Amino acid sequence: MADGSATRVQDFIGDPVSETPMVPRAKLEEIFQDLQADLRFDHELNGCLNCGICTATCPAAHYYDFSPREIVQLLWTENLDGIYDAMQEKIWSCAQCYTCAARCPFKNSPGGLVMLMREVAIKHKMQSAKDVLRPFSRVMLKLVSTGNQLAPDMINPQHFADWGPNISKVDAPLKLLRKAIPMATLNTTETAWEVNLKTSVELYTIWEMTGVLDQLEGIDENLFDVITDIMEEKREDWADFLEEQEDED
Amino acid sequence: MSTDNKDRPGQPVEKFTGHGSEWRPSNLTPTEAQRATAWVEQRIDRRSMLTNKDRVADVRDEMWQLEKDGQIVVHRITDQHKPVEAKTLYGWTKRIPTTQLWHHKSCGQCGNIPGYPVSLLWLMNKMDIKYIDETDQTSCTAWNYHGSGIGNLESLAAVFLRNFHQAYVAAKAQGLPEGYYYPLVHCGTSFGNYKEVRGYLIHSATLRENVTKILGKIGRLVDGKLLIPEEVVHYSEWLHVMRHEIKKHQVIDASNVRATIHPACHVYKMVPEDAIYDETVLDGNRVAVSTGLVQALGAQVIDYKTWYDCCGFGFRHIISEREFTRSFAIDRKIRVAVEEAKSDVMIGHDTGCITTLDKNQWISKAGAEGTAVELPVLADCQLAALLCGADPYKIVQTHWHASPVETLLEKLGIDWRSKKAEFETYLEQIQTGAADQLYDPRLRITSGPGFKPFKREVSLPPPEE
Repeated sequence: MADGSATRVQDFIGDPVSETPMVPRAKLEEIFQDLQADLRFDHELNGCLNCGICTATCPAAHYYDFSPREIVQLLWTENLDGIYDAMQEKIWSCAQCYTCAARCPFKNSPGGLVMLMREVAIKHKMQSAKDVLRPFSRVMLKLVSTGNQLAPDMINPQHFADWGPNISKVDAPLKLLRKAIPMATLNTTETAWEVNLKTSVELYTIWEMTGVLDQLEGIDENLFDVITDIMEEKREDWADFLEEQEDED
Repeated sequence: MSTDNKDRPGQPVEKFTGHGSEWRPSNLTPTEAQRATAWVEQRIDRRSMLTNKDRVADVRDEMWQLEKDGQIVVHRITDQHKPVEAKTLYGWTKRIPTTQLWHHKSCGQCGNIPGYPVSLLWLMNKMDIKYIDETDQTSCTAWNYHGSGIGNLESLAAVFLRNFHQAYVAAKAQGLPEGYYYPLVHCGTSFGNYKEVRGYLIHSATLRENVTKILGKIGRLVDGKLLIPEEVVHYSEWLHVMRHEIKKHQVIDASNVRATIHPACHVYKMVPEDAIYDETVLDGNRVAVSTGLVQALGAQVIDYKTWYDCCGFGFRHIISEREFTRSFAIDRKIRVAVEEAKSDVMIGHDTGCITTLDKNQWISKAGAEGTAVELPVLADCQLAALLCGADPYKIVQTHWHASPVETLLEKLGIDWRSKKAEFETYLEQIQTGAADQLYDPRLRITSGPGFKPFKREVSLPPPEE
């Protein structure tokens, strides 16, 4: 609700007696245009007979109110309200296995279309995206600041209690267990492998130039601030190293 | 089909179709039915291997043309890489390099199940395969992308080209020429994502133009052009074409092992045109990698009804909606493999799948009494290493697996208790001293802080026995 007087529930489901559309038409069109503007859109969407093969083989459809067939139909028929509605929640159910894409007789990729919708949900700073991605911040911090998505120190009983007592069957400190891995790059605890300073600085440049940092800022400003601080330090370290090299030469 | 109703003689069989009252059976003759099926197969079935159809369009045809037009440089697989050819389901011929390999590591494997890459490198040492494992590599970033939506086509493409460019130039640090090493991708998601991105790069001049600016900025162009690999190769494909060589090193009989295979979605459902099938492996009805290896090593491959299902990883779900992940892993995969296939082990070839299937079994104890299921879960290269005599702890690193791998070890006749005790003693020894390595650790740094150039003639340590 734009007037600021709506309750949280109304924000989410809209006001059933109001004739004002929950989301202005222009906004819906803007979202759809963003989807269509992606060069993958026409590749991933070729037509749909509503055969439902995609949904029949979809793992998420077993457990959620989610159907890849519905996603394709919404986009194919340009159902702007339905697209917006799906972007609030349903698109986050997809498990990204691409079984739908492998099976579709029309060579659609419902899983690929879901990715376009997720990207656009982030671009438009949808609350659903912020809520859904909050638990992902550890991964994002690790990825953007090191170049690794996962690290040994992220796998611990506090975060994965449902994995049970056998996360490690040898009782020894993590650092020692990692030292015992006979690949020198893996003797690490804070990253999955030892990452060259140059590597993470190059990756940071990629994030900057492709607008990924802007995406991140829109979704989680605090995380963005933390990451930019870390990376600016790394950049300085790299610049210092290059300077030392020049001096030596 | 009989139309006689046994309960009501003279009346047609009652049928419920769920299609509404207007629905009528087609009553096609067998010939007509065959014709209808042929029509569907002609239009829908894109496989070439089982239908004798021509191959589907091959993106690499355009890639070669782009190179001819001077727009890109292709990182070629040459004789020095000793390539072996394999066929894909849709008729492509894929060339798999078998030596001089640049290990494109997987963050999930290295972080969580390190016996996965270690087993692969150990097998390579065993067969005297040349390789490099270095620090100048990023994650592909695709787990994060598929899970969160943070990232975009350009960032994925730039990361792909950046890492593969490093693979191309890595050998220079050892005084060897560019192109000496060829990238071997460990993670199934990296593999699927890179293949998808390669297709978009080849099809889209706009994408190429945009990422050229980025790659130029970070010094990752070759003669001012993008470097695109001739093939994107997954380690399971290397295992597949090397399976008969690996068999020569086998020291443990596996004929009493019933193995179920979990093929990874991103390995064969993403860009399925590029997935290797083999008519000698389950008649070409299943993706060949892993299945072919396990068969070659003499274990029994047991088919099961949910082989086509994903594992439940979900990218986002493994982090924040684990009820889905563990329910799917337990009920659609592990339970079926245990109860229907009577499996002794489930073998996979991807990071997320192994993690999901291995770690999510304990929670099944929370179900009703008698419903818990357990099954050892390993990667194909881990099983192969075990069968070739690798230490189950020092090399295969089974202690990082939550599933009951010990039952498989017992079935293979491996005394895991004594091996575990040896490993614990080894841990005490390395607390203050150096640990064993599969390769000279100095080779891991190819530039930047800590880099010291030296020639490749530094001899590798002998293969672990």
